[in-house]
Amino acid sequence: MTDAPDPMKPNLAQTTGPAVDIVETESAVERRAKEAYFTASQSQLIWARFKKQRAAMVAGFLLLLMVVSGLFAPFLSPYDPTIAGRNADYTNGAPQIPQFCDKNGCSLRPFIHGLERTRSIETNFRWVTEVDEDTRHYLRFFVTGDSYKLFGFIPGNLHLFGVDDAKIHLFGTDEDGQDIFSRTLHAIWTSLQVGTIGVLIAFVLALVIGGVAGYYGGWIDGVLQMITDAVRTVPAIPLFMAVAAFMPPELTAEQRFFYISMILGLIGWPTLARRVRTHLLTERNQEYVLAAQLSGASSSHVIRRHLLPSFTSYIIVDLVISFPYMVLSETALSFIGLGLKDPVSSLGVMLQKATSADVMLNYPWYFIPVIFFIILVMSFVFVGDGLRDAADPYSDKNK
Amino acid sequence: MLQFVRFVATRAVMALTTLVIVSLVVFTLMELVPGDCAERYLAFKNTQGSGISQADIEIERQRLGLDRPFIERWAKWIVGAFQGDFGDSCILRVDIAQLLGTKFWLSLAICLSSLTLAYAIAIPVGIYSAASNNAWLNNSLKFISYFGLAMPNFLLALMIMLASTIWFGETLTGLFSPEYRDAPWTWAKFRDLLSHAWLPIFILGWSATAFALQTVRALMSDEIGKLYVTAAAARGVSGRRLLWRYPARHALGPIVNSLGFDLNRIFNELPIVALILVLTDAGALLIEALARSNDQQLAGAIIFLLTASIVTLNFLTDVLLAVLDPRVRKSIMR
Repeated sequence: MTDAPDPMKPNLAQTTGPAVDIVETESAVERRAKEAYFTASQSQLIWARFKKQRAAMVAGFLLLLMVVSGLFAPFLSPYDPTIAGRNADYTNGAPQIPQFCDKNGCSLRPFIHGLERTRSIETNFRWVTEVDEDTRHYLRFFVTGDSYKLFGFIPGNLHLFGVDDAKIHLFGTDEDGQDIFSRTLHAIWTSLQVGTIGVLIAFVLALVIGGVAGYYGGWIDGVLQMITDAVRTVPAIPLFMAVAAFMPPELTAEQRFFYISMILGLIGWPTLARRVRTHLLTERNQEYVLAAQLSGASSSHVIRRHLLPSFTSYIIVDLVISFPYMVLSETALSFIGLGLKDPVSSLGVMLQKATSADVMLNYPWYFIPVIFFIILVMSFVFVGDGLRDAADPYSDKNK
Repeated sequence: MLQFVRFVATRAVMALTTLVIVSLVVFTLMELVPGDCAERYLAFKNTQGSGISQADIEIERQRLGLDRPFIERWAKWIVGAFQGDFGDSCILRVDIAQLLGTKFWLSLAICLSSLTLAYAIAIPVGIYSAASNNAWLNNSLKFISYFGLAMPNFLLALMIMLASTIWFGETLTGLFSPEYRDAPWTWAKFRDLLSHAWLPIFILGWSATAFALQTVRALMSDEIGKLYVTAAAARGVSGRRLLWRYPARHALGPIVNSLGFDLNRIFNELPIVALILVLTDAGALLIEALARSNDQQLAGAIIFLLTASIVTLNFLTDVLLAVLDPRVRKSIMR
């Protein structure tokens, strides 16, 4: 900023007093801010604009919270989410909220009441669970319990919380006695994994197909566009269902999981490919590409070193935006029984049992995980939206 | 006029090409299913007690024409598909066209009604929200429409059914009352259909409305800031008249264009909503075909029909736009 106005001059016309110093600092601060703005990298600019959007920031915070709780799900959840961690004595059990006070007085340490399972002629010989208000099980932190593998390889058996001599079910249990709270945390992790794998596969395909179409143009572009558009017109979920139904039934839970993520990716590419192509078509006629080509750079070098970095931020935004659709598709597929299956925890799997009127009326806590999923998907949508606004250099209003 | 005919013809050819590509994709998928129709049919016979051998399978395969090369079978299928003939269902052994018939038209009618509902809500609300500077209103509309996106439709369906069971004591399922299910079409049957169809229409329209609201609002707020609107306002046009005559007409083009993709989105929701509400339409039949019995002939036919309706709608909106929008019309009739 060599042509910045001399801070002394405007003040000379008005005053010769000591105010000069203050004016100079103000101008310098402004100048520094301007310099910082003009020399900032693209990512710094995006971050600066993103920070100004309150909704997106709140969503980003929630998203981070979700990702962390998904990552550390085995540690944060008190029990194993599969049938191994079931509480056979408390099936279809109501949520247990830790409390400080009951009719026998208060305690500083939160506790839950004990349970009594009885069966007699009064209850028509069905097992009935009753809360025993005289026994207390106190909440403890960092207890040892079911063993697990954190991130898939770090073995451990420490859990954030638990109660002594009993089991605590914050969100209740399902018909097998599995802890819904533990399953919810693991399901968030499953959704994030499925989404990530699906988005990555779709992204690689989109990059290759959209990249070739956009870079070479001409008839290659025409043919590829036609195929992309044709695939885009097919409704995705019926197609998902068709492909998922052809899955061999003898697959293990893990293989099924990868198969489903792959299908999501293989069907989700066309929208992304279109975006990549459009970006490339506008960028490839810029002077810097011509300069690189004249210097003898090969096509792949130009694409990798010059064209891709020019729209990385847009691609990231597109990936964030397409993420929730992957998650929702997986949920829908699992819900109708064509996606993931027990013992994998996923929202769709958990809700499969919740369709009958019996469950809806008597065990409403089956629906608690839904709240978390709506938060997860909405925070993704809000963050994606905020990122899109922040990455758009023409959105002057957010500067 | 000649140019217009040529434009319509080009669009029609493009639509047909898309359909041919789609049919190739669908047909290949059907082929990839482990086991073919002959094996499946004879496996079924086997459960009925009659023993079968490899030779029986071969004979059945020849009878169904499954020993012909891939391209030939595809060509046969696509020619049949354009004439509305999809062959026989693998498992049910009935003519697919007959099986789907009314069910498909019924689903299409429901989906198109949801689309109409979505835009009937989204256009006025979107325009109003883009025109007003009320930050609170805009933010809550944004929140509501994101909520519409985030809430899976099957959950909404579940919630409504739960509410109806609690408060009305009856489950709102099916499309017809039992006494009308197999009755011939009469006015009373139609009225009965309407009294049941509002729920699927509402549920399918829910997230479509959320999307449409976003589109309309974004387009309108782009247009409202432009100079021609200011110029019109300076000439003394104001209020609703200004909105409808200037920016709304400009925003119309992209909205008409997006109709096809909105229908696509509604078709995505259709099977799951149909499953929960126990509708006996094409969506539920698709799930039946896929999940219960692996009936690839039926599944392929349904996916092809759904895609064909989207392609047709895209073609119609293209032509409609050429009629409505003078800019498009001029560019065709150079």
